[in-house]
Amino acid sequence: MKKYSVVGHSVPQIDANEKARGVAEFVSDLQLAGMLYGKILRSPHPHARILHIDPSKARRLKGVKAIVTAEDTPQIPFGPRTEDWNIFAVEKVRFIGDEVAGVAAVDEDTAEEALDLIRVEYEELASVFDPIEAMQPGAVLIHDKERNIVSEFKLNKGDVDRAFQECDVVHSERYYTNQVYQAYLEPMACVAHFDPTGKLTLYLATQIPSMTRITYAKALGLPLEKIRVVVPYYGGAFGAKMETNLHLAAAVLSQKTGKPIRMVNSREEDFMAGNPRVPMYIDLKVGAKKDGTLVGKEVKIIGGSGARAIYSMAIVATACYRVDSLYRFEHLRTEGITVYTNTVPTSCFRGFGNAQMTFALESSLDMIAGHLNMDPAELRIRNGLKTGEVSIHGWQIGSSGLEECVQKAVEASGWEEKRRKKRFSRGIGLACCNHVSGNRAFSREFDGGAGIVRIGREGKVLVYHGESDMGQGQRTVFAQIVAEELGVALDRIEVAPVDTDISPFGLGSFATRGTVFGGNGVKAAAQDAKRQILEVAAEIFETIPSELEAKEGKIYVKEEPERNLSFEKVAEICLLRRGGSPIVGTGFWVPDTVLPDPVTKYGNVAPAYPFACQIAEVEVDTETGHVNVLHYTAAHDVGRAINPQATEGQIHGGVTQGIGWALMEDMVVEKGKVLNPDFRDYVMPGPLDIPPIKSILVEPIDPNGPFGAKGIGEPALNPSPAAVANAIYDAIGVRFTELPITPEKILKKLGSALDIGHLHRKKF
Amino acid sequence: MKYPLKLSVNGVLFELEIPANRTLLDVLRNELGLKGTKEGCGAGECGACTVLLDDEPVNSCLVLALQADGRRITTIEGLSGAGKLHPVHEAFIHHGAIQCGFCTPGMILSAKVLLDRHPNPTEREIREGLVGNLCRCTGYQKIVEAVSSLVNRKD
Ligand code: FES
Ligand code: FES
Repeated sequence: MKKYSVVGHSVPQIDANEKARGVAEFVSDLQLAGMLYGKILRSPHPHARILHIDPSKARRLKGVKAIVTAEDTPQIPFGPRTEDWNIFAVEKVRFIGDEVAGVAAVDEDTAEEALDLIRVEYEELASVFDPIEAMQPGAVLIHDKERNIVSEFKLNKGDVDRAFQECDVVHSERYYTNQVYQAYLEPMACVAHFDPTGKLTLYLATQIPSMTRITYAKALGLPLEKIRVVVPYYGGAFGAKMETNLHLAAAVLSQKTGKPIRMVNSREEDFMAGNPRVPMYIDLKVGAKKDGTLVGKEVKIIGGSGARAIYSMAIVATACYRVDSLYRFEHLRTEGITVYTNTVPTSCFRGFGNAQMTFALESSLDMIAGHLNMDPAELRIRNGLKTGEVSIHGWQIGSSGLEECVQKAVEASGWEEKRRKKRFSRGIGLACCNHVSGNRAFSREFDGGAGIVRIGREGKVLVYHGESDMGQGQRTVFAQIVAEELGVALDRIEVAPVDTDISPFGLGSFATRGTVFGGNGVKAAAQDAKRQILEVAAEIFETIPSELEAKEGKIYVKEEPERNLSFEKVAEICLLRRGGSPIVGTGFWVPDTVLPDPVTKYGNVAPAYPFACQIAEVEVDTETGHVNVLHYTAAHDVGRAINPQATEGQIHGGVTQGIGWALMEDMVVEKGKVLNPDFRDYVMPGPLDIPPIKSILVEPIDPNGPFGAKGIGEPALNPSPAAVANAIYDAIGVRFTELPITPEKILKKLGSALDIGHLHRKKF
Repeated sequence: MKYPLKLSVNGVLFELEIPANRTLLDVLRNELGLKGTKEGCGAGECGACTVLLDDEPVNSCLVLALQADGRRITTIEGLSGAGKLHPVHEAFIHHGAIQCGFCTPGMILSAKVLLDRHPNPTEREIREGLVGNLCRCTGYQKIVEAVSSLVNRKD
């Protein structure tokens, strides 16, 4: 494996110092001159007609500067996929938390007080909360969509019925993956400022700065050029921070008052009107031959989008078919239905549907391995796609480290020995996954990444990109890539915050795409900058650029290294000779991905595909039902780890969220109301719930990734719930098909198992 | 109705007048501009707002500012005097214990107190000592590694 001087080395995040000292300014820390504070009046009803809104009393409250409702907006329906959003509710509200009105005041307390004074008359309507009920004929309609169906995804290949007949084992099961909350530590936040020229600057915590700008221009009825999006530091996202009405409510209030408006969700609001995971019913049937060859897969998914379809239909589609490029199924029947309900709109959460399906499929494969008396690890290796293969949907696997992941995880976890020495209540479970790095099916307009690299007089390098660092360490990876290309030390590089007035148009941080797309984009820009600086250096050394080398902060003649100048000196000469112009390198990267065929879904959607294998070891306390995760091994094909320390950090974080989902996390929703909208009742892992995680980096060097890298964000979580469920099955012989697997559920199952045992004893 | 309030924050004395219902977190962030103390929940459940009140870690979102009258407060900004990093800062940076950084100020203060009180904690004791601080990014592992690296340090 080729060695580099910056790439491939563990480094702290380039902004870790500011974050450690508490001086990094997060969105919720921003303070602009004359700034007011906004709050949203939210619907207390899951479904109701708005008869009348009377803000007069609230308006008279001292310190209140503006109150806005739908009437203060252009009332243009909008949305990233289906245009079923309004900034504030028009005619009716559709979930508890729906935005009804906005208040701007001199401080948050006053804004909150004003909310209580706004009188809204509602006429309550029938509501429906479960997606299966919502699609029954006669169910109340939430939008004007027949049977509340947002969209249907269908995909058939081969002859699945015949294939099942010829299988030696066919396993059918219904799974349910629940609604969970991303729980980033900084709630959703923004500052919006309409300046006197009519230009709106939005300081947003968003993963997709350039795309939100387009959506918001439509919603506000503004030309695109009137909106500028800036992305300061923000505290985590995990998929949730894309578009949100919070941003638009702030914009409307700023338009009304002419002042900057800061809006931050309370934690409770963030639970009730955030963007939690799409819950899914998954009916899955998988057939295999005696030798473990997987042959057919039939799946029917019903996913609940809540009251707005944000990206839920794409998430259900992903759940339907992404795993077909993990294993070699030849016969498929697939149906995915996305349904409106009167609950909080659901959307992206690390894994994007593939996490839901991975739980189902990897649980089923565990059962199949059991039926066939086969090592679950071997079953995965036998069927897993290898480097150079093209999947049934046309995905070109440029590199696959799946087999190596399984082998290394098996070895590191002591899998074989632990499976041999079985004892009741202790178990070990394995699960794999694939994912994408980028998704052409999701980025429909174009695919690619771009960067700008500016070298100033002093030789300081400033990198601009259009993606989004939500804390995962993306800036650092981009800085490493640029430092490597320019042959300078990492501390010469700074990475600018995304500002749509300056930065390239980036599709953003989703689909585990940042490293591959943004990385290749800034790499191309660095190459362009390097070409320019070498041209000037060639003039100085009276040679041609190809005779020069840039390394270790110097530019020198390859054959005569003693003829050299520092990078800084050459940068200065460049600027002086070029009328004061800094070096500005621009570059882009466009992969040869294709939009999948609308019917067959055939088409290579990503330039690179990550893979993983995770192994959990658990102990089940049969008295209390408590599951203790004892050991955890996570082997990930990351192509090449640009920053191994950060890559491991992603794995640790993903696994932890996955264990949380498997064992404890659950949004308890009753009649559309979230009953546990806080960190006391929404239980998620603390430091004592997670064992040390053994992370293993598998690096097959991908042909398309920058320096061979692929992404890691989502695959870090995908297999974890199944690995834990499979370990629990190994421990107590009970298969759980619904998440989370709580102590109550375990005791209930164990109780009935013991009862049966008791009866049996009586009888015989 | 406003009440007089005297606070010594990071060694500097402040005299303010504030309404009785203001929390210490609110006063630190919005009156004194110390934004390093974060608000993750406002309900005492995440630890992002941790500060030291007379060397005792507290969730400042649960403390009324007036309860802190006349007392000594250390925030994250007070831990790095004159640009010099505290060893806990350095360990967090070096070990990759910081991702988004939103939990970090509170986590670092809790870790500091933990080490001040038990210079030689086991891994389990470190995890126990940080149980009031949630982190959603790191899975705690590199945080625990950072704190472990400071066990028995001689300074
Ligand atoms: S903000 Fe104080 S504990 Fe969460
Ligand atoms: S680093 Fe993001 S919450 Fe801890």
